Amino acid sequence: MSRNNRSTRGGRRPQRHKDVLHTHGGHRANDFRCTSCRLDVSLDAPGTAHRNHCPHCLASLHVDRKIPGDRDADCRGRMEALGLSVRPDGEWMIIHQCVSCGELSANRIAGDDNPLALVRLALRPLADPKAAGRVLLTL
Amino acid sequence: MSSHTTNNNTLSLSTFACAWCGLTVSAHAADGAARNHCPSCLHSRHVLDHVEGGPSDCEGRMSPIAIAVLRTGDWMLIHRCVRCDELTSNAVCTDDNQLILMRMAVRPLAQPPFPLEAFGTL
Repeated sequence: MSRNNRSTRGGRRPQRHKDVLHTHGGHRANDFRCTSCRLDVSLDAPGTAHRNHCPHCLASLHVDRKIPGDRDADCRGRMEALGLSVRPDGEWMIIHQCVSCGELSANRIAGDDNPLALVRLALRPLADPKAAGRVLLTL
Repeated sequence: MSSHTTNNNTLSLSTFACAWCGLTVSAHAADGAARNHCPSCLHSRHVLDHVEGGPSDCEGRMSPIAIAVLRTGDWMLIHRCVRCDELTSNAVCTDDNQLILMRMAVRPLAQPPFPLEAFGTL
């Protein structure tokens, strides 16, 4: 019955104009959702102008290829925090590794990153008694 | 030990000079694993393109910046090219300089961006 009605009217019913934009300048233009823990993250981060990882679980998304911000990668895989590096000026960098293609990238930490997750990442080489103990014994 | 062979039974020994400290390093470790960084200063050279997989035309020096841990518990060494900022990860050899390895592992805890005293009560 309803199918007949629609076919006699011809074409699609005109849609209502959308005044709520979910992307491209809408209310979620500056947000992203973490691919690992599904947290909605705002791009406004204290201490950095380029937030690229979730402050809760430190996961990121593989969107950049060579230059940060070029959005040139076709992978779009999830990038998990692999280790921590320290710049000569004492700033911590998170080393991310893409889960699907294995690419590495380094990101500065932000001011609201989870300190417990950061310290767990920093302690990861020392947590395993096998590798760390072997290093300390051969010193 | 030079690279020339006297007869067919001796292995040819390939070496490379470290880009940072100049040490002449054999390309294979004692257990036969291929070596790609200097065991003394842990610096490497950017000869393999990580994205395309072929040989790289950068040839820049790669300095060690971080320690990563595999699920098996083995340590990996993260290198960064000083010319093109490419990152690579390499397995740690058994005769690598353990002082530099341990210094890199505890480096984040020496300069924490937030006070670590609060973690004592957790």
